[in-house]
Amino acid sequence: MVNASVEHVKLSKLELRRIFSKRITRWPDGQPIVVFVLASSSPTHQRFSKEILKIFPYQLDRIWNKMIFSGLGSAPIVVKDLESLLAEVKNTPGAIGYGENVAVQGGLHLVEIIR
Amino acid sequence: MLKLFAKAQRIIAMGFATIAINSLAEEQTSVQVHGFIAQGVNKSQGSDFVNDNQGKSAELTEIGFNISYQMNSDLRLAAQAVYLNAGNRLAEGARIDYALLDWSLLQMPEDQLNVYLGRYKNYHWLYSSTRDVPMTRPSIVLPQAIYFDGFRDISVGGDGIAISYKKNHANWGDFDFNLSYGTSNISDKQAEIILSELAKGRMSHDLDYQASIFWQPQSSPWRFGIAALDSEFTYKQGREDNFLDAKIILQRYLLNARYEGEVWEFSGELMQERFLLDGFYSEDFQRDNFGQGFFIQSRYSFNENTRLLARVERFYANKDDRRGSQLAERSGGRVPEFFGFQHDAVLGMSLRLAEHLELQLEHHWFEGTARLTPVVVPNTEINNDKYWQLWAAQLMYWF
Repeated sequence: MVNASVEHVKLSKLELRRIFSKRITRWPDGQPIVVFVLASSSPTHQRFSKEILKIFPYQLDRIWNKMIFSGLGSAPIVVKDLESLLAEVKNTPGAIGYGENVAVQGGLHLVEIIR
Repeated sequence: MLKLFAKAQRIIAMGFATIAINSLAEEQTSVQVHGFIAQGVNKSQGSDFVNDNQGKSAELTEIGFNISYQMNSDLRLAAQAVYLNAGNRLAEGARIDYALLDWSLLQMPEDQLNVYLGRYKNYHWLYSSTRDVPMTRPSIVLPQAIYFDGFRDISVGGDGIAISYKKNHANWGDFDFNLSYGTSNISDKQAEIILSELAKGRMSHDLDYQASIFWQPQSSPWRFGIAALDSEFTYKQGREDNFLDAKIILQRYLLNARYEGEVWEFSGELMQERFLLDGFYSEDFQRDNFGQGFFIQSRYSFNENTRLLARVERFYANKDDRRGSQLAERSGGRVPEFFGFQHDAVLGMSLRLAEHLELQLEHHWFEGTARLTPVVVPNTEINNDKYWQLWAAQLMYWF
């Protein structure tokens, strides 16, 4: 799911992987991407990384830790539960996140994963 | 270069001062604060790697704190301060690890170009940018062939400019191109670690160019890298000094590969370095050595919280004198042959105790002493064993 300000709602798994590993940092219209995630031990995060992003959670942790602790860049924002993740994505322009059985609602667009 | 660095530091200080004025909502996404704290115990038996008396030592402390502030969509400020204590391995104390202005010149889905001004890290080898960040390392003590602690302060980064270009290719995968130019300040302690405690002069870092390329083929568990380094140092004779003015040239070529699977990981780095010493002992003295080294390691994820490590490492200070016999001969027998190489075999374990709490344990079996300090004038009194061992345990927490 993405914030309602994001028009680009059809994304490939490759694009998603690059967004979550911070290799793509802007939407095509130039708006900065703000990434929200759950802690890496959370089952939802683990499933999302392995099944959608096709990357192991430990690999994402390494990429983010390298950015944070070497000054290369800023990492995704970790929130405590799915409810907060949904709220943050709704309230933050340019935000992207994930959830479980998220219903169509105001403030966000659901992303269609394309081949 | 110093002027440029001073200017970048001023900009960074001004930038952080304005954080306080920003609204709370913006702060959440524009300001990030992180840190780590780690304390361990280690012991080297048969060498002065950790300390001179070879007893158990708690000199294994790493503490760091960093802040990143996104000023606008193109400019970001970031800085990290660290305190390190690792016994004889490096100069103990606090330092600014990095303090930089990160300027995003290009942010397209396929291309990203960033320029880092100020004090940057060495982004060119597998672990060089986070060698002091405990939970990012496979082991407490990194392979000394490549991550020689005696050169830590010089190879960890520099003051100047670093450029990073990322290419996300639709079919070929991800490419990272890195360039850096800058120098580092060499403390008296660092000079002593490299040269000898008898050297009373000053050592300075005159230039340092580095470049690297990493390539991860599309959706592949493999990543490959290549890196090069060219640096120059001068030594100015001190008062009542035993040594003369000198010039040191250090050049390095490096290849690396990494495989990250669900339970197995493999990685390795291969390096050749040229170490040229001109002067120092006498006006016409010159030593020009090509050293070689590599390590290969595997990590196995035993379960979600336990990772096992096995590594072998080889290092030869002079590729034309792999057994060190010429070295011993040249010194008239004062320096033993085993100062010509240093090989290591390591077994280790990482235990994840909580989300951000980890315990690392490891044991090293060494043969040879070429990567013990001081480098130029070796300490043959303490390091008189060809075979020596090291164990270390470290508890680390990060946020």
